[in-house]
Amino acid sequence: MSDLGIEIQGERLHLLPERAVHWPRRRTLVAADLHLGKATSFRTAGIPLPGGITAATLARLGRALVRTRAERFICLGDLLHANSSRTQQLLAMVSAWRQEHRQLEMILVRGNHDFRAGDPPPEWVIDCTNEPLLEAPFAWQHYPAAVAGGYGMGGHLHPAVRLRGGAFSERLPCFYFGQSYGMLPAFGAFTGSMTIRPVNGDSVFVVADDAVIDVSPD
Amino acid sequence: MSSSALALAERWFAQRQWQPFDFQRQVWEAFLAGESGLIHAPTGTGKTYAVWWGALLPWLIRHPDAAAWAGAKAPKLRVLWLTPLRALAADTAQALQAPLSDLGLPWTVARRTGDTSSARKQRQLKQPPSALITTPESLSLILSRPEGKRFFAELETVVVDEWHELLGNKRGVQTELGLARLRRWRPEVRIWGLSATMGNLETARAALLGLDEAGAIRAGRLVRGLVPKEVVIDALIPDAIERFPWAGHMGLKMLPQVIAAIEEGRSALVFTNTRNQTENWYQAILKARPEWAGQIALHHGSLAAKTRRWVEDGLRQGALRCVVCTSSLDLGVDFTPVDRVLQVGSPKGVARLLQRAGRSGHQPGVVSRVTCVPTHAFELVEVVAVRNALAAGQIEARDPVQKPLDVLVQHLVTVALGGGFEAAQLKEEVRSSYAYRALTDAEWEWALRFVSDGGEALTAYSEYQRVRPQNGRYRVPERRIGRRHRLSIGTIVSDAALRVKYLNGGSLGTITESFISRLKPGDKFIFAGRSLEFVRVRDMTAWVRRAKNSRGAIPAWSGTSLPISAALGAAVRAELHQAALDQWDGPEMMAVQPVLTLQKEWSRIPTVGQLLVERLKTREGWHLFFYPFEGKLVHQGLAALFAYRLARRQPLSVALTANDYGFELLSPDPPPLAEALIAEDGIPSLFSRQRLLDEIPASLNASEMARRQFREIARVAGLVFSGFPGQQRSARHLQASSSLFYEVFRKYDAGNLLLRQADREVLERQLEHGRLSQTLARLADSELLLVDLQRPSPLAFPLLVERLQARLSTEKLADRVRRMTVSLEKAASAGTA
Repeated sequence: MSDLGIEIQGERLHLLPERAVHWPRRRTLVAADLHLGKATSFRTAGIPLPGGITAATLARLGRALVRTRAERFICLGDLLHANSSRTQQLLAMVSAWRQEHRQLEMILVRGNHDFRAGDPPPEWVIDCTNEPLLEAPFAWQHYPAAVAGGYGMGGHLHPAVRLRGGAFSERLPCFYFGQSYGMLPAFGAFTGSMTIRPVNGDSVFVVADDAVIDVSPD
Repeated sequence: MSSSALALAERWFAQRQWQPFDFQRQVWEAFLAGESGLIHAPTGTGKTYAVWWGALLPWLIRHPDAAAWAGAKAPKLRVLWLTPLRALAADTAQALQAPLSDLGLPWTVARRTGDTSSARKQRQLKQPPSALITTPESLSLILSRPEGKRFFAELETVVVDEWHELLGNKRGVQTELGLARLRRWRPEVRIWGLSATMGNLETARAALLGLDEAGAIRAGRLVRGLVPKEVVIDALIPDAIERFPWAGHMGLKMLPQVIAAIEEGRSALVFTNTRNQTENWYQAILKARPEWAGQIALHHGSLAAKTRRWVEDGLRQGALRCVVCTSSLDLGVDFTPVDRVLQVGSPKGVARLLQRAGRSGHQPGVVSRVTCVPTHAFELVEVVAVRNALAAGQIEARDPVQKPLDVLVQHLVTVALGGGFEAAQLKEEVRSSYAYRALTDAEWEWALRFVSDGGEALTAYSEYQRVRPQNGRYRVPERRIGRRHRLSIGTIVSDAALRVKYLNGGSLGTITESFISRLKPGDKFIFAGRSLEFVRVRDMTAWVRRAKNSRGAIPAWSGTSLPISAALGAAVRAELHQAALDQWDGPEMMAVQPVLTLQKEWSRIPTVGQLLVERLKTREGWHLFFYPFEGKLVHQGLAALFAYRLARRQPLSVALTANDYGFELLSPDPPPLAEALIAEDGIPSLFSRQRLLDEIPASLNASEMARRQFREIARVAGLVFSGFPGQQRSARHLQASSSLFYEVFRKYDAGNLLLRQADREVLERQLEHGRLSQTLARLADSELLLVDLQRPSPLAFPLLVERLQARLSTEKLADRVRRMTVSLEKAASAGTA
């Protein structure tokens, strides 16, 4: 795993190939769009999906926390996928994970899915707040947008970019930092993505297996 | 008794000034003997009345008293008539109705397709017509109703029209499963198929009739219809071949000759190979002959049904001088006034060109003629090749699809909805279909578990349910799931399509979402022969208004283009062999001689028994060209396999391109060709057939082909759901793309049989694995002609300009990404310029 250090709004940030951002000054890990229990809600509707997807998402989050020794975790929305995701089995799995990380302070900036799925159960001990969550110089968001009072950082779109080189082309999830706001890739293991088209001056970093690579257009 | 019924048929024919053909009488006898069978003949030769009268005869024998017909109650469903195209249903209904009206028979005929209102469908279920015309999908929908069994309680005959059209794809399998169901309910039912000429009629019959209790293929007649008329295949020959394109799709250079040919006849059909070409040629003809406005039309599958109907009626009445069309007019109805048929671009196969030729010259004694219009020089070789293959009687076979598990999974839910099933009984029924005759117990168990508890990977998840056993019968416990299933029955998978509508009303057809997504409001495009201005997208509809001037992009509809057939490929190689020996066969080969001579000077022309490989270095990188002349699909497979074998020798990224004649491997570093020709421990040589069954799937996974194939499987097996009509929002949290499903299954349930099916389908259907293996054997025995090119040869050039199709790499993703740049917003780059 090789992280990439960058500077945004005068703050040092590490972009992690796990698809999260580490903010060392505040000992904070930030990720967007976990969509826990998405496969569960598909199964409830009669669509057979294999197990292990949410477990893999949680395990990856755990690894990133251990690696960065973060003491705080901010989820930029869409923690749970849907109301039908809240099966006993899923809730128990996340509770067990929370037990392993009980020292961790957890904050959820509610996203569109959270409003439908409802706030997480109290035993997970997650502070829930509506956007923006202002922590200068950032305004933590779900919707990626410019915000008064801070540099907006959100998720929601599950951004990806298409890269080309000669005859080759790849579409990869990305971190995006534009003039007025920034975006994180979706963290969840069972999430799609949307291709964005950056403009000159934007900073763009793709996740290629276990590396984060700067592909910013000049 | 039977003689008076037969006399009635003869009398009816006589009233119409017809005389029954021998084959029709033969079919009637077979019906009276309770037999099933398959009739093969070109379209418009009396197959319909052969089976329709056959189906009426038993009833006429039981009801000989014509005086009692008036006022008698209409018999309940006796005849089920399956048609692949709902557009054909109306014509068929008309044809079936004619003798009923003439004779005053109390039978009723009705249609049931996606266009039928749900109120009418409900009425039909309560009060079945005597004969029902429907599609395989609508049959499945009836089977998903608990009333299904009662509906078919008096069924005597099933007719499957245009069976050749269903046979080679999953709709055919869906039909086979439906027929197996009907046979269980009505063991005495007669099943008759109507088919065009093809190379494997016995197999076609076997797939239609299925297996008996003993596991033997059921007996049935094979009736040959009218002997084909004489067929003439010729070509429009360009004046100056040197200036004729070596590649490309437009070929509008031939426009003056095409217009002259249209003027020769009363009514012409101009077939093209894609919808995009259809729009293009229509525009070009109209521009050259503006006075023809109103007398020419275009026809393809994306146009609104009403428009298509208008064109078909115009053709039938002889009101149209010319219609530019795709395969959408290959089938069905008889256009007697048509006396000129043109084929723009490669004929692709012998049977296909034969079918199209048959669209002209319907009067007895008139020859069928099709004139090919080459769009690049080499297509002239194909014209000669197809003529030779036809003379030698080499007509392609259509191979039925074998045990696709996605269709089975869908069928299990359908039957569970339609009153439920008992597992052992249904297994036996499914195995009585030709497609699933070799279904193993393990495959059956897997499919059953996939719909009931989700299979092994899911046993721990109690929330999953689709089909549940209750007292030994599998049913669908939840209404919601049933509703969802009925909406997604079928095996036709199309791209996300948007309706195209005028702002002030009027529907034009459908267009792919990917094309619309590239348009900005105000952009112009050409569709349905009109120049349109894009306004906005709302409610799954692209709203447009008429544009003033006729400029604009023509949308491309995705869809796999048909490869040339094996028969045609071999004929092309034989023709090139002649050319290599400096023998020029007929006006077409004479015309293409300058281009082939150039090929010979800059490179070589391979004879039969030689494989030409060309090497070229350009700014783009290192190109390797191979020319097996086996069709695009086989070439895609070979390209992936060769790329994989080369990339196992050294880390390498390869871009693959294939066409009907050959394929290209392009890499940023020189490929280790010389090394790859020799086997090394564990790595077979390039042309070896060793380890094929491992290496092809491996190369496919590396090159994304299986992922694309999974789209169809995910949709048919009910993984991808596009939402309830008018309710799209509430279902949104259940939507995910098939490629996301593919990734998740690969990662978390690698043993899933649907994945293996994706591999197998790529192998069998996309790459024609059997053909690929035979090709490798042929290449291994061929003499290798390796030529280093100074400039692209006439054969290489089309591959250079073709869009790249796939990529394969053994380099690390991160290494590859470091050589790439990000795609920018177009507007921004334009703004800075």
